[in-house]
Amino acid sequence: MFMKVLTDIFFYLGMGLYLLAPVLAIRFLRGSNGSLLPATRLALGGALLVVLSFLLRWFTWGRLPVTPFDALNLFILLSTLIMVLVTQPEPMRALQCFYLPALAIMCLINVGVALRYLNVAPKELPVTLRGLPLTIHIGLIYLAYALFFVASMTSVAYVFQSQRLKRRQTSGLFHQLPSLEQLDRTLYRLISYGYPFFVITMLIGIFWAWAEPKLLGEQWWLSPKIILSAVMVAFYSVSFHTRRFGLLRGRKLAYFVFFGFTSLLATSIVLALLNLSTYNFWGKPS
Amino acid sequence: MSLVVVGLSHHTSPIELRERLHFPETEISHALLQLRKRMDGAGAVVLSTCNRVETYVNHAAPPEELHREIRAFLSDAHQLPEAEFRPALYEYVDRDTVGHLFRVASSLDSMVVGENQILGQVHEAYLLAQSEQATDKIISAVFQKAFSVAKEVRSRTHISAGKVSVSSVAVDLAVSIFMDLADKTLMVIGSGEMGELTLKSLISKGVRRVLIVNRNREKGEALAAQCQGVYVPFDELGATLHRADILISSTAAPGFILQADDFQRALKPRGNEPIFAIDIAVPRDIDPAVNDLDNVYLYDVDDLQKVADENMEARRKEIAQCMELVDKGTEQFCRWMRGLIVEPTIVSMSTELNAIRERELAKTLQSLPDLTEKQRDEITYLSKRIVNTILQRPMSQLKQEAVQQDPHVILHLVKRLFGLKESP
Repeated sequence: MFMKVLTDIFFYLGMGLYLLAPVLAIRFLRGSNGSLLPATRLALGGALLVVLSFLLRWFTWGRLPVTPFDALNLFILLSTLIMVLVTQPEPMRALQCFYLPALAIMCLINVGVALRYLNVAPKELPVTLRGLPLTIHIGLIYLAYALFFVASMTSVAYVFQSQRLKRRQTSGLFHQLPSLEQLDRTLYRLISYGYPFFVITMLIGIFWAWAEPKLLGEQWWLSPKIILSAVMVAFYSVSFHTRRFGLLRGRKLAYFVFFGFTSLLATSIVLALLNLSTYNFWGKPS
Repeated sequence: MSLVVVGLSHHTSPIELRERLHFPETEISHALLQLRKRMDGAGAVVLSTCNRVETYVNHAAPPEELHREIRAFLSDAHQLPEAEFRPALYEYVDRDTVGHLFRVASSLDSMVVGENQILGQVHEAYLLAQSEQATDKIISAVFQKAFSVAKEVRSRTHISAGKVSVSSVAVDLAVSIFMDLADKTLMVIGSGEMGELTLKSLISKGVRRVLIVNRNREKGEALAAQCQGVYVPFDELGATLHRADILISSTAAPGFILQADDFQRALKPRGNEPIFAIDIAVPRDIDPAVNDLDNVYLYDVDDLQKVADENMEARRKEIAQCMELVDKGTEQFCRWMRGLIVEPTIVSMSTELNAIRERELAKTLQSLPDLTEKQRDEITYLSKRIVNTILQRPMSQLKQEAVQQDPHVILHLVKRLFGLKESP
């Protein structure tokens, strides 16, 4: 009982810190220059508490918790780390004003998901799923998701900065944000890291499903999740290569990346809610 | 001790008067020497810029006397009757002097609020005074604090954000589009004062590759030679436009010389990398429709002026927050200064009580000749401990009182109680 209460405290406190961080970012927008560092520290504090709550759950239930809730936590943690890395150089700091509110929204969704999973014993993983392939598969896919997520928020910053320049509104946050070129390069770099991770994950998954036909069922390729992943690969392939060869750059690329990611995110949420997957890692393969 | 300032600035005097009271950099050392001759032992700094002439002095004399001396010094140094500049002078004492210096260093008193130059000028004035050994403990402390307050104001507010002159706005916008100007190409079409000013500003910010386009070959080559650029004949403009990352156009052409199609064509070979076009010609050289293209940012003179005005307005809005930081710094410094006032009294108290201790100790030790060396040391140590313990509370209380309020009343009382001499 004590462990469950402690898990709850760590988790909700962590989420609280994540939700508080954008408040400091808003203070920065209102002129308080010194509030971005505390905002980052709050987010990192939140991440640490989420890790502690995960470890407590693992300890309490005596098995590695692998649930949609934990996947979302992993996504938030990786996004936080990427966000911190991206905003390390001084001119990039103000990007927190875009990243932190988006992370807070993900945390709000996470709180909703936690109501169903936080204090429920996670299901035992099938024997065939236990081991390194799953760790690599899940680790890489969420790393790619996190990179795409941060890229989409960077694209919002790019559009914001570009619009302000076009409309000659160059006061306030405009002066705090990095140059358009730097935003564009960051956006490209995030996609160029995420894209190969995603492709590798897909290849590992395909090989795995082919080598272990019983694992995901005979018709695993018909799973909406697989189809969505294929769409994502195609989408990011177009984004990556058009930017690489200078065919798509700047505002158009930013719009493309943002709407692409949000529509894919929305689709995957709908799929999860309708439970349309033919397989998942946290239950028995259908 | 009184910390005073006597000065005049663009707020109180016309440029003609400031010019007459200005100290050229080479003459400040001599001026400090003259000033310190008048006020023996004074700590002093002379700050002389195009917008202000200020003399900061810390001395034991009453403030009115210090003000009078500084006025006389200014009058003698510039051979100018006092009556001619006295109405333009402001004179502050202690807290007001501190607050004024902090406002000046933070650029809140500048003609262009938030400009960066003044902090460097204050710093130079202080370093010069320091090299002439004209500074004392208070002067050094107040200037060091002024630098830290100014830095805090800059880092915690947006007072310096956004440029406020047309050419610097253009540079600022270029920096907000491009990461590093050193690897960018600047194309200048035509010539003109504003264009050349912007060109110089961009070069000072690191632009290395310059293309000069001009109908007049001689003029173009001359300008290209000036900025180590390359001359491009006007009829090759269309073919070379794609090489320009930043474009400044200021020709006397009666109509548009560049249309949206020209830029559309230029974007392709450069892989859609952005172009920043600055049209400072009147009538304009570049079709405004160019700004509708993706990755092309077009600004004309009015746009640049509008941005400059907006930036100025934004800076004005920051002033209240900056003043809070200045007031906080002033309060901190004044507390520290008040703490200094009690120091001589604390030293006197300690000296007086220790003198009594040593006198009484000597008598006691004389009456006890059989004591061993160790016992004598023990008694000496005991006497020291007793005096220190007695002094501890009044000393800390005095310091605390000094920090919280004017300590003169309590100091007077302490001096009477302990029979200490009044310090000057």
